[in-house]
Amino acid sequence: MNDKRRVAITGVGVVTPAGNDVESMWARLNSARSCGAPITTFDASGFSTRIAAEVRGADALPLTGDRKLLKFGNRSHRFALVAAEQAMADAGVAPTARDRHRWGCVVGTGMMTVSFDELASVQANAAPEGELDAAKVLDEATSNDPMAFCRSQSTAGVSLLTKRFGIAGYASSVHTACASGGQAIGTALRAIRRGAVDRALAGGFDSMVSPVGLAGFCLLSAVSADNDAPERASRPFDATRNGFLLGEGAGFVVLEEWGAAVARGARIYAELAGDGNSLSSYRITDSHPSGDGPIQAMQRALRDAGAAPSDVDYLNAHGTSTPMNDRSEAAAAAVVFGADVGNVAVSSTKSVMGHLIAAAGAVEAVVCALAIQRSSLPPNANLRDVDPDCAHLDIVRDAPRERRVRVALSNSLGFGGSNSCLAFRHPDDTRALVEAGR
Amino acid sequence: MAAEITKAQVDEIFPTVAKTIADALGCELDEVKRDASLIEDLGAESIDFLDLVFRLERAFKVKIPRGKIVEDARGDLPEAEFEQKGVVTEAGLARLRQFLAEVPADRFKAPLKATDIPRLFTAETFAKLVLRARAEQPAA
Repeated sequence: MNDKRRVAITGVGVVTPAGNDVESMWARLNSARSCGAPITTFDASGFSTRIAAEVRGADALPLTGDRKLLKFGNRSHRFALVAAEQAMADAGVAPTARDRHRWGCVVGTGMMTVSFDELASVQANAAPEGELDAAKVLDEATSNDPMAFCRSQSTAGVSLLTKRFGIAGYASSVHTACASGGQAIGTALRAIRRGAVDRALAGGFDSMVSPVGLAGFCLLSAVSADNDAPERASRPFDATRNGFLLGEGAGFVVLEEWGAAVARGARIYAELAGDGNSLSSYRITDSHPSGDGPIQAMQRALRDAGAAPSDVDYLNAHGTSTPMNDRSEAAAAAVVFGADVGNVAVSSTKSVMGHLIAAAGAVEAVVCALAIQRSSLPPNANLRDVDPDCAHLDIVRDAPRERRVRVALSNSLGFGGSNSCLAFRHPDDTRALVEAGR
Repeated sequence: MAAEITKAQVDEIFPTVAKTIADALGCELDEVKRDASLIEDLGAESIDFLDLVFRLERAFKVKIPRGKIVEDARGDLPEAEFEQKGVVTEAGLARLRQFLAEVPADRFKAPLKATDIPRLFTAETFAKLVLRARAEQPAA
């Protein structure tokens, strides 16, 4: 026997460009039809990139029935509320007065805090000539709106969620750019393992489909400018790839201490078995061509899960479709899996739904949980000519592949050099381990 | 001090005040009765009052100093005679009863903590607040 507390995934919820619930998203991912399209939420005609994968609909009001709560939230917070509501309902468990102090909440928060409209209002009214006029600030609408202040705090998302569900045990907000969602779920895993809480709501949310968000990625040449073929813009591992497709959305999971989940007869999608993190400490926006950084994250996730590289059947790649990321990640896979690399099926679901930034790792954790539960791997869309540097990968192309997954990995690699890898195990295999006293 | 506020004046602006309260508190418009306590009946929390005053300023294009209701209620009574150790004095309570005449009398219960004064505020309290702010606003 050992005293390791294992953690089960018992609820999942998503808001994505590929669908605003788990089943719609899963069907769209399996169709291998990308969500890239011209931007509709603002006039992007002056930008070098005028395409994105936008969320449509996802109204939080019918699900939460709490109109007041919504005034504290921006677009990405509303996505978070919807996805979290789905995950909690799916798990069929919620904090009670008796156990709310044994619940935690960890979120990967969006990069943008102040909305573009609010920034624009302050600029237009209080700094029309560029210099801030202090006297005008006092009369300016956004500066005087207490709700704008609440919405623009980076803690707003976690506050809304803990309030909504009455979670009172532990909370944290993670922001490590594109690694945020994965690291948030890993942080929740560790909180349960060390006994701080028994259950947690964990995930990520983001929306950078805005003039400020898009402008930054355009300046970095990080986004594909294939404005004439938006459905082909995201093509991870393709030799002609030229940048990512900006997405938005939220993903949440409900995590439970394994014994507690089993005791209440919960449906378990997968064991959240391992959390691996590393720092590249290389360049702010470049990944190391050797895969240094992601290598250590993947190795640590496997070690944390007590799994060997040869146990891995599926890798949900970070796979952004930037020239640099995919090459570096493919190099990392070659090192981690060695001679077994050809046995690991790989796909980047960003090929369909785009890059959800701080939400990406969380939504992709949901994808891994579903892949294990359904023994089905979603395809990597838009792959025509595989980059020779990625040719050693067994990429799931064009259509889903049936395969029982013993262990799945999900990579989330962030600007600034934060690398996250989560490991997931088939629940039947975990049951066998538990029965064997491991 | 501004002239007495008439019922007709309150009637005139109340629909807009009620709509603004409903928006700020996320409640239904028909819940916003004139004598509804924003805290007790409509679930307002402290930040909602800041939000509501901000929204009323925009809706009526008036400046409303924060804390104006209690300041106006206290009037010329020195602060030390209005409340002591956080509790409203007899004299203070008398001022409040008179000033918040729209609040049903049975809701004034001694001892009243100063921090609980906002529990008394009704939808009509905010209509009167707008009218006073408007009357005191220097002509443009």
